Amino acid sequence: MEPMKLQRERQGNLRGGRGWYGAAAEMESEKKKAAMAEDSDVDELLAALGYKVRSSNMADIAQKLEQAEMAMGSSVVANDDALFFQLAADTVHYNPSDISTWVDNILSELNGPPPPPVSSPPPNAPAPLDPQKRHPEALPSDAAQSSITTVELPLPTRRPAQVYDLEPLPAVNVARARGRFAYSSDPQMDVVDPSPRDSKRIKFCSSPPSSSSSTTDAATSTASNLPAVVVDTQEAGICLVHALLACAEAVEQGNLQAADALVKQITVLAASQGGAMRKVAAYFAEALARRIYRPPPLGGVVGCPSFDSVAFDDMLHAHFYESCPYLKFAHFTANQAILEAFAGFRRVHVVDFGMRQGLQWPALLQALALRPGGPPSFRLTGIGPPQPDNSDALQEVGWKLAQFAETIRVDFRYRGFVASSLADLEPSMLLGKNSDDCGGAEKEEPEVVAVNSVLELHRLLARPGALEKVLGTIRAVRPRILTVVEQEANHNGGTFHERFTEALRYYSTMFDSMEGGGKSGGERDQVMSELYLGRQICNVVACEGAERRERHEAVEQWRERLTGAGFESVPIGSNAFKQASMLLALFAGGDGYRVEEKDGSLTLGWHTRPLIAASAWRVAAAAADSRFAR
Amino acid sequence: MAGSNEINANESKMAVPLNTWVLISNFKLAYNMLRRPDGTFDRHLAEFLDRKVSANATPVNGVVSFDVLIDRSHNLLARIYRPAPATAAGSVPLLTDLYQPPSTDPFPVIIFFHGGSFAHSSSNSAIYDSLCRRFVSLCDAVVISVNYRRAPEYKYPCAYDDGWAALNWASAVPWLHNGKESKPRVFLAGDSSGGNIAHHVAVRAAESGIEIAGNILLNSMFGGNHRTESEKRLDGKYFVTIQDRDWYWKAYLPEGADRDHPACNPFGPNGVKLEGLPFTKSLVIVAGLDLVQDWQLAYAEGLKKAGHFVKVVYREQATIGFYLLPNTNHFYEVMDEIKEFIQANL
Repeated sequence: MEPMKLQRERQGNLRGGRGWYGAAAEMESEKKKAAMAEDSDVDELLAALGYKVRSSNMADIAQKLEQAEMAMGSSVVANDDALFFQLAADTVHYNPSDISTWVDNILSELNGPPPPPVSSPPPNAPAPLDPQKRHPEALPSDAAQSSITTVELPLPTRRPAQVYDLEPLPAVNVARARGRFAYSSDPQMDVVDPSPRDSKRIKFCSSPPSSSSSTTDAATSTASNLPAVVVDTQEAGICLVHALLACAEAVEQGNLQAADALVKQITVLAASQGGAMRKVAAYFAEALARRIYRPPPLGGVVGCPSFDSVAFDDMLHAHFYESCPYLKFAHFTANQAILEAFAGFRRVHVVDFGMRQGLQWPALLQALALRPGGPPSFRLTGIGPPQPDNSDALQEVGWKLAQFAETIRVDFRYRGFVASSLADLEPSMLLGKNSDDCGGAEKEEPEVVAVNSVLELHRLLARPGALEKVLGTIRAVRPRILTVVEQEANHNGGTFHERFTEALRYYSTMFDSMEGGGKSGGERDQVMSELYLGRQICNVVACEGAERRERHEAVEQWRERLTGAGFESVPIGSNAFKQASMLLALFAGGDGYRVEEKDGSLTLGWHTRPLIAASAWRVAAAAADSRFAR
Repeated sequence: MAGSNEINANESKMAVPLNTWVLISNFKLAYNMLRRPDGTFDRHLAEFLDRKVSANATPVNGVVSFDVLIDRSHNLLARIYRPAPATAAGSVPLLTDLYQPPSTDPFPVIIFFHGGSFAHSSSNSAIYDSLCRRFVSLCDAVVISVNYRRAPEYKYPCAYDDGWAALNWASAVPWLHNGKESKPRVFLAGDSSGGNIAHHVAVRAAESGIEIAGNILLNSMFGGNHRTESEKRLDGKYFVTIQDRDWYWKAYLPEGADRDHPACNPFGPNGVKLEGLPFTKSLVIVAGLDLVQDWQLAYAEGLKKAGHFVKVVYREQATIGFYLLPNTNHFYEVMDEIKEFIQANL
């Protein structure tokens, strides 16, 4: 790890500016020293096998394992099989790599309150909340009982798709008359005034791509893994990949003649391929060509999104949502974490950093509606980019959701914010006039906040300081949970050639999954999804500097960034894992999709290659805040 | 009963280093929760708890790995491990480099079947990724770790079919061919259920005229209806119980079969005669604290009686899983035995 870090710092210097990156690197090394002192106690041999165990703690863990075994052993011997397995089925597990807390969790289940009688409701039914069990380190298992598809899942023949589709919404006759809706404040369309430097950012393609010092390099601990799933071992396929990689290398070396020749060769080779490889090669070839020739920027140029393409982007995103399970999985997993975080609260507020068409929210609203004791009062703040034609897509989404909420009797309020960048947001905007911040919570029910970011944070890495600003804003809002979904890949580090290689592997696997996976949606969905991915490819390969917004990083890198910014992981449990796996089996048909757990986050991938990661966070030591103690 | 459990824990704790004890006990606790009395298996929880690692085309300690889809219809994956190709140090090997033979000298191709009693683990489980990398470094081998279908969802003979498919696939891959010969030097290897799979695939190979250079069976999984002395003596003492062995056999063997089924008991009353078949040479490694050892030793005897070469390595003080952590003499000395066996039969 160390040598790669030094190399990147040097590169940063060569580009003429240490700036933000330089300062961060110093802070990083201090934190790293502290972490390493702790880390030196970690048993190396077990770490190599995926377990985090401190040597100093080993004997203690051994004792706990013994206790757990004895507790289990005695129940089995006493012929209480059924009881034991009921208990085992009900237990929610978190973060198995941390053996200590994992066993603690089991012990507290085994030694805890008397188990329910065997004829109790099925494990997925919500159990009464026990406030005393809520402790800061782990989400209590009883709160984890409530789930999104409680009603649907036991009946495998019922298609649970309705929790994801917007179709079941009552036919929305979107009336522009504001007075019609049953919520207390008028939906607001606040346009955040861009600061002077931001107005320049609106013109995305006004300057040629440059490797300026203002870009943000990947977090220092790059996942140096380059996982690969190779499906095509035929000669032609290998030659094609070889040509693509050779072309990228030629581009990096500035040998544009050779690169040009290779692009032509690639085009020929690609034409003789079939399926996913042909499409992927075509997109990468086009992106390379753009990088070589750097055409003058136009509105709507692929990979350099301009004003005009926001609606187009949203449309492509919706098709991608339909045609494959990645976004559905992401929404589902994030919603599960939000649901658990909201347990017991009567006023809840979700801030969605990328509102788009609001595909994530009907399912959450539905789950909240089914909560025992009734739904909370729900407020949604949706953030979206400016629309060039001043259309109010952000507003429309709000209307539709309000309609839906009305049919399921959830008290719903909505507020939309237009912002060119998340960095333009201030905490006061998100908390709004209906907030209960700054104390005085005694008379009003406290409002609990969830911040949700699906495929949004990586864009901030294109501008130094932007991510810091946004994380600071999130902290200031004091969310009970922050859900983060990102592409599981490092498309932001190392040399151009390394980035290209990683992206080629990633998108090859992605395209292959769409070819091979059980297809949902129609052919149009697939074509549009491929274009959606193609635009990402173009951005990753052809753009640089502030224009290169598809700066994906792997979950370990996000972990470093978030813990460095004062957040701690809220592990996602085995209940969410199980439900996601079961839903995938129903939806996707094809066996290739895999859910995996890693350090508290869940990933969905194709075969052995994770492609998207969902994780949950909270402000470290927030649990000590009396406002949230219940 | 609690008292006797305590004694058991102390005995096993004295037999292995503490971190090994924690690792294996951790698995034991988890696995106990996954095996349901009605014979079903909590697969989702199993996948949640299993620690997995990605393939890595960047050399780590001189070894690279990548996954291949051998059979699309079954989603049969395998992870291939090989010595890092001789490109510039530190740079990522080109895909084309990965598909070159690792050496002009003869090199072993080890088709590895991971353990897990037919039900647990995968080729991308961390414990097996680590072991396979070790095998590459040990003898400059190419290792193919097969992600075979598991019980109870897939019973006999699925695991054997997948092993057979992998063998046929490997035999046809050009860059696995050694030097002037147009075929690879294949060794079949496996631990626990993987050892059992290696045996049965070797039988099919012998029947079909595919040459296998050697079989390596590590604490392999065999059994029978009869309760052997070692089973009775060691039941519950070193992480494993007769009860859990019975559960796994029931999960793998066909409905209604008993443990004298030839898959479980190849030299038992229903076994296939191996006399006269060109069956390969075997290295059978037995741990002295493994309750299955009598069956493993009987297996070795059976091979001998049928006229086939077998070397038994008996580690008196070793428990199951000793090969998962490089922290005992058992580990290093057994690795040396494996290396010697491979080099002698290359």
